Amino acid sequence: MLRQSPSFLHRMFRYRSTSVTSEGVQFLLFTMAIGIAAINTGNNLFYLLLAMMLSLVLISGIAAEYCLRRLEFHRHLPDHLIVNEPTTATLVVKNQKSQFPSFSLKLFDISDGRKLDRGLEIRQLLPGISQLLSYPLVATRRGRLQLDGVCVGTEFPFGLFMKQTYYPINETVIVCPEIRPIDERLLQGLLAAGPDQSVHRRGHGNDLYNLRLYHAGDDSRKIHWPTTARTSQLTVRETEAEDQRRAVVYLPTVAPVSHDALFEEAVSLTASIIQHLAHRGYMLQLLVGSSRSSFGQGDLHLLELLRMLALCERCSPLAESVVPKEPSRDHLEVEGGAMIVVQSWRGPGDIKPEQPTILINGHLIAGASHAV
Amino acid sequence: MPFDQALRFASIWLASTSFIGLTLGAGLPEWLAVLTGAALIIALLRNAGGKSVGQLATHTLMSTTGWNLLVIVGFLGFWVDMLWVSGELLPAGVHFLMILMIIKLFNLKLRRDYLHLYAISLVAILASGSLTTDLWYLPIFLLYLFVGVWTLLLFQLTKHPEEPRILTMSVAMRPQPLASVSQVTPQFFWLANGLALATFGLTVVIFFTIPRVGAGFYQKGFGENIRTSGFSETVNLGEIGPIKRDPSVVMRVELSDGPPQEAGRLYLRGVAFDQYDGKAWTNRLNYRRAVSEDAVGTFVLRSSRSFATPRLGDTIRQNILLEPLDTPVLFAAPLVERVSGKFPSVQSDLTGSVYLPFPSSSRIEYSALSRSNPVLPEDLSAEPSVYPESVIRHFLQIPSQPERIAVLAKEITHTQRTIYDKATAIHSFLTHNFRYSLDAPLTEQDQPLEEFLFTRKTGYCEHYATAMVIMLRTIGIPARLVTGFLATEWNEYGNYYVVRQQDAHAWVEVHLPHSGWITMDPTPPSIESIGSGSPAWHALGRMLDTIRLQWGRFFVQYSAADQLAVVRELKAGSTSARNKAVDSISTLFSPFMAMFGGMAGYASKGMIQSLAEVLVPTLIGLAVLLWLGIRWPWVKGMISKKTTRDEQVIMQLYGRMIGHLARKGIAKLTAMPPLEFVRLTQEQWSNAGSAVASITELYCRARFGQIPPTREELSLAEDHLRDLMTLEKP
Repeated sequence: MLRQSPSFLHRMFRYRSTSVTSEGVQFLLFTMAIGIAAINTGNNLFYLLLAMMLSLVLISGIAAEYCLRRLEFHRHLPDHLIVNEPTTATLVVKNQKSQFPSFSLKLFDISDGRKLDRGLEIRQLLPGISQLLSYPLVATRRGRLQLDGVCVGTEFPFGLFMKQTYYPINETVIVCPEIRPIDERLLQGLLAAGPDQSVHRRGHGNDLYNLRLYHAGDDSRKIHWPTTARTSQLTVRETEAEDQRRAVVYLPTVAPVSHDALFEEAVSLTASIIQHLAHRGYMLQLLVGSSRSSFGQGDLHLLELLRMLALCERCSPLAESVVPKEPSRDHLEVEGGAMIVVQSWRGPGDIKPEQPTILINGHLIAGASHAV
Repeated sequence: MPFDQALRFASIWLASTSFIGLTLGAGLPEWLAVLTGAALIIALLRNAGGKSVGQLATHTLMSTTGWNLLVIVGFLGFWVDMLWVSGELLPAGVHFLMILMIIKLFNLKLRRDYLHLYAISLVAILASGSLTTDLWYLPIFLLYLFVGVWTLLLFQLTKHPEEPRILTMSVAMRPQPLASVSQVTPQFFWLANGLALATFGLTVVIFFTIPRVGAGFYQKGFGENIRTSGFSETVNLGEIGPIKRDPSVVMRVELSDGPPQEAGRLYLRGVAFDQYDGKAWTNRLNYRRAVSEDAVGTFVLRSSRSFATPRLGDTIRQNILLEPLDTPVLFAAPLVERVSGKFPSVQSDLTGSVYLPFPSSSRIEYSALSRSNPVLPEDLSAEPSVYPESVIRHFLQIPSQPERIAVLAKEITHTQRTIYDKATAIHSFLTHNFRYSLDAPLTEQDQPLEEFLFTRKTGYCEHYATAMVIMLRTIGIPARLVTGFLATEWNEYGNYYVVRQQDAHAWVEVHLPHSGWITMDPTPPSIESIGSGSPAWHALGRMLDTIRLQWGRFFVQYSAADQLAVVRELKAGSTSARNKAVDSISTLFSPFMAMFGGMAGYASKGMIQSLAEVLVPTLIGLAVLLWLGIRWPWVKGMISKKTTRDEQVIMQLYGRMIGHLARKGIAKLTAMPPLEFVRLTQEQWSNAGSAVASITELYCRARFGQIPPTREELSLAEDHLRDLMTLEKP
């Protein structure tokens, strides 16, 4: 029993906090005045009123405690968020008590130690019943969004105090950089660079890539009859893949502190370019600092690239020893495809520009405002 | 009933409760009581009468500015009242409080107004607590507590969420509260009452445990002392008469040796008088000496060991709860041997009367041990006796009365041989030949005693006692007149005598040479004192008196000393404490147990009819309360009827819609869910799709979601159905 007591007390008081509402302040002032009057006069009927008011305070605490006990929370979040893009989060609250309902619950998200009011309220939650609440969630910073738990408070029964308790539900969600529409000039630059850097390879398409002898299992519809007739050997026609366009997007992470906002702009711009190119069927590779992704296509690959961008961090040029070495130009050229570099800092002599610098295959896209 | 409406009701009831408390305690001026009462009734009607009454009231009443001006006028009136009309702060403040309540009742718009009303009602109930300690405060307080809990609960539940704020990380969207959780349901009824009950329980616990610190600079007693007469040094003949119509309780006497075998008479001796001048009695032996203290708080007046002759009289141990009187006399059964109580000192005079140094301003409790003098066999023999000189000097004095009183006395006693027999003969003569009446105008007579004895032969206790004393003295028997109370009203529920002002009495103490002073009462039983009313009502009155006594003891008079006593008891041991607890519980329930016992007694005595007068209304009242508590028709009825009716309406609409669609060739199979049927309808008859979807949604909400549709939604659904009926299927 004694051994259990500390853990019980720990559970009981660990996450509890109580604040007095404005009505509660007035009530306590009246209680104090009646207490003084009772002591002053010795009138037992004043003591009776004082006892009533004190018991209301106590009942407030007890009833609120019952309201907040044995609640169960489940939060459902999407796999990833995008900065400034609303998404719907859901919270399921279940009253696990067998007898007592919970009233007037106010729910707050706790993130990085901050209490965030989502405007979630439950007037009444009957025993054994669960309720689903959904709310729009908008992240304003890329990176990892840490949601520590849920703070639930109630002013039940008399509105004199706001008693709150904390239910830990740790959840982390990746917040990808903001994706904005791309500026027209930049768009044209990207489109122009694409064909030059194309790599011919077989695949689905209409243009002829190659003629070869028929192998068992080949699609009979691809037999090239003129050549077959001419050579008397079954010959099939291979087509050139239409999605052969490749691009390497490079985001240097070295930038001084003064360029922090610009770096974030560069990250957002990189994400926007990647998103744009991915939708156009490019094979994409992303280099962020020394991190490198593989070439790839599709939604999953895009998501992987966005996650890289979500988690990348700026490196200060002063701490060169810890700065990962940037990949060389030669190495990039071996991989092939368009080379798009989004720079937030061009070196020690760089005066802080208004926007990141974009180089496509080494050519500066001058004055291109990347976003509208 | 919606929470908003229930809140308005509860708030007005809270104000009404405090108003009733204040009216009972302060005796508000009639015009103010009527005005406030009318304001409360109008407020209730406005709340109950719906929009029409509300709009009417809005049109007829003043604007907010007008009310604010009225507050200023009221404040000025408060100063005028305090300085010139009432002349005191408290009554003027109470009057102003009522004015504020009236104004606020007509301005219950914002939540702030409700808070103001609660503050006013709290101050009002506080004021009534300072003005009274009567038992009626208890039901008012209980009502206030229950209504207060309801009000606070509803006030909290009707608190609307704050406006959405722009947040750093999120944009909030408020969920709409469900209509069903904004209604007073039976579950809510029990929840609120359960909370109120818990609050009451905690209130009692806290009340008894709050340390009583009497450190104030404004300590006051509990009301004014009761004015009584007959216990000063000089008492005019007939002075007791007027107070014999006053039913105020002056004391309650418990007998430590248990209740008397039969609810007999108990004399509570106050003051004895030795000198009579023909119109007034005077106590010339009024020199008071301090009584020695035997133990702490125990004062010994005379010890049985000090008497040479063995004292064989019965002892009576009494616990007396004396209300604040305007006399310092301590009453007890004759003759007092010792007194115990929380007194700094006790005094006694030569006639054996006991006094406090000064009249107490609050109720006091003390115990007394009394022992009556039995008539010894020596006094029943015819041997001549010699009285001490001091007795002869003080107790044989007679006024210059005509000889005929002496002649009458001798005539009555001439055949008797012993002193005791003579006294008994006079006692018997007065008891049997005279009539008791309080309407005897003997006070205005020059010689009231002669008028009583020879002319009117009608009087009350003072006349009888005076006549006997004078007649005894004329034949040489020392006697004195004693005033006090004659307790006859035994309260079987609390096991004590209730002594009222009307029990004030005068009787005679006759000195026998060997036995000492013995008590004789020549007053015949009063026919008037039997009183009217059925015994059942008297029983109810006695039960109420018991509750009043417990209220006074446990609440009004509860003190730091009582708390210390409880602590001592707890320290003394758990067994003792447990016994005490059992005793306390027994004490609390004893009135009810005694009442049931009494019922059986009444029934056995054939007094069923009178018992029924009390029982039948009580049982009916209890049954109604129980029914209201369980059924709570005005809420449950409203909710269930509304829910049922609305549900029925939407179900009927849905049924009509299904029937109509079936006639149009779109039949709903039994196993087909409603939403599936909507899809089917939309496929087959696109024009009807929206109407069918709308009605089906309402139907599903009411049928499966327990969310009754609103009147507007029902009206809309009816319109949809009407449109559907007019549509032609292609």
